[in-house]
Amino acid sequence: MDAFVFYCAAVLMVITGLLVVTRRNPVYSAIWLVLFFTQIATCFLTLRSPFLAAVQVLVYGGAIMVLFLFVLMLLNLTPEEMEERVSNRRRILSAIASLALFVSLVVTIRHSPTVNPTASVPFDLTAPIPVDAPESLAKAGEVHQIGNTLFREHVLAFELTSILIFIAIIGAIYLTKTRRAGLAVTRVAATVGTPESPRPELETEAG
Amino acid sequence: MTLSLDFCLILSTAVFCIGVYGVLSRQNIIVILMSLELMLNGVNLAIVSFGRYFIAGPSAEDISASTPQAFVVIVLAVAAAEAAVGLAILLAVYRRWRSAIAGDIHLLSG
Repeated sequence: MDAFVFYCAAVLMVITGLLVVTRRNPVYSAIWLVLFFTQIATCFLTLRSPFLAAVQVLVYGGAIMVLFLFVLMLLNLTPEEMEERVSNRRRILSAIASLALFVSLVVTIRHSPTVNPTASVPFDLTAPIPVDAPESLAKAGEVHQIGNTLFREHVLAFELTSILIFIAIIGAIYLTKTRRAGLAVTRVAATVGTPESPRPELETEAG
Repeated sequence: MTLSLDFCLILSTAVFCIGVYGVLSRQNIIVILMSLELMLNGVNLAIVSFGRYFIAGPSAEDISASTPQAFVVIVLAVAAAEAAVGLAILLAVYRRWRSAIAGDIHLLSG
């Protein structure tokens, strides 16, 4: 049953992923991306990682997706501005490049001695965990064990991640800050020589 | 019906390659960032299936069975930071060039 759910989610995942990258309107891409994230969460559930499934829906389906839609609405692009001048040649070349990557990775996976150990039947990932397994194995995907691992063994990585997020927050605030005097912007414009659009015009157009 | 590690890895490869196709073929910066999220999710799926395989698979060991899960949590945090900074850069670029198309921003192309 678990495997059947996984296969259904896999088919839907590939379909929604293709829809994300092929839709012309970015808003539709964002909506398909939400469905894609829920399919990933379903796969995490069947692989016995309930905590990650919940976090996936919360962080990706909630926070990151709202961020994307928020920026899309903030930019308020007209259909002409969304127009992409992508030639068919470029599309075909991209498809060939990604297909070549896919084929080479699949060949590598099929021939890997770790993934396909010789002289044994493939292990079923949805098989029940044996009853005599220690608790750290049986409940590896649950929040108690993840917390133990994260804060005992990988505490340095955890702290570094928090510093990274802190820096990202500072960077995002600095980048999106509007400069009243426009010092840096003027300097760039003077070097490059492109006409600079005045601030008041931007304000009215954004609103 | 069984589920092998092969299939999980091939699925995550497929998701990753769909993301690669999006990054290569699209011009809209927002869609490029979405394709990057697709690629990160493919990698997460591979990590989780490897974790499941080594927890209850043939080579189970008692040390840090939750390490893959912790790894995915950290990847998630990095992905969130990347999305925030990427979209902030997009906003700054749009203010300056009035365009969200990657081909229009060629300040560094000489």
